[in-house]
Amino acid sequence: MRETRLWSLHILVLPIIAVLLGAHFAVMHYAPVFYGMSVEKAREFSTMIERGKSITQLVLYILLLAAGLYHGMYGVRGIIRELPLTPTLAKLVDVGIIAFGLFIFALGTYVTWWTYSYKIGG
Amino acid sequence: MNSNKPTAYNNRLGIKGWVYAGNYTFERYLYIGHRLSGLGLIAYMVLHIVETANRMRGEEAWQGLMALFASPPFKIIEYLLFAMAVFHAMNGVRLIITELGFFLGKPKEPVYPYSSSIKRHRPLTFVIMGLAFLIIILGGSSLFFP
Repeated sequence: MRETRLWSLHILVLPIIAVLLGAHFAVMHYAPVFYGMSVEKAREFSTMIERGKSITQLVLYILLLAAGLYHGMYGVRGIIRELPLTPTLAKLVDVGIIAFGLFIFALGTYVTWWTYSYKIGG
Repeated sequence: MNSNKPTAYNNRLGIKGWVYAGNYTFERYLYIGHRLSGLGLIAYMVLHIVETANRMRGEEAWQGLMALFASPPFKIIEYLLFAMAVFHAMNGVRLIITELGFFLGKPKEPVYPYSSSIKRHRPLTFVIMGLAFLIIILGGSSLFFP
């Protein structure tokens, strides 16, 4: 049952990833197509800070981070666990993947929060 | 020695099982592609998060990094990444459609000549992969020729 839940969650996060990653691509990589803004301008420090000060962006980026990392880490876990591992090693893989995923999530969240709370000119 | 003690599973192909496509042809290669693109995307995501942390070193450091990413080799890497994301997403849509039981046809008696659900599903596979190819080409045109 636990494995079914984990698998279902890895599928359920897909709409979140599709919508938010699509928006991320549109803003950062296809700015000339969607916003009439050059990619260079879209990636400028001041533009990035300006965007990052929105509470909506803060929430959506953390959501994308969580959904993307969960989907990806679950996939990596599945691939590694296809190897002939002992139950102890399989458990170690799980713990390692959870720890690594949480570390990257914490780093990404901190960077997003740093951008949100950045004081312009301060 | 306790023979009931669980040991390594011996019914798996190990690393060979990751890439060996057997006789499943096209769909099995899509499966390998799905995994490789997935691994590429998660590796990039991790690097991307570490790289964006560079903004905390200040505007100069950020602008220097962005200048590096605007160079031709990084443009190509960015495009490969986009292609991987499109392929992974479109193949994922195909997998979900299959998982839900659509486009597999109704179960039939196993009477020769056999009709497999994979073959009944194949036209959808070609349509989805065709769409993915089209998006990858269109995405490249606006990325390289804005």
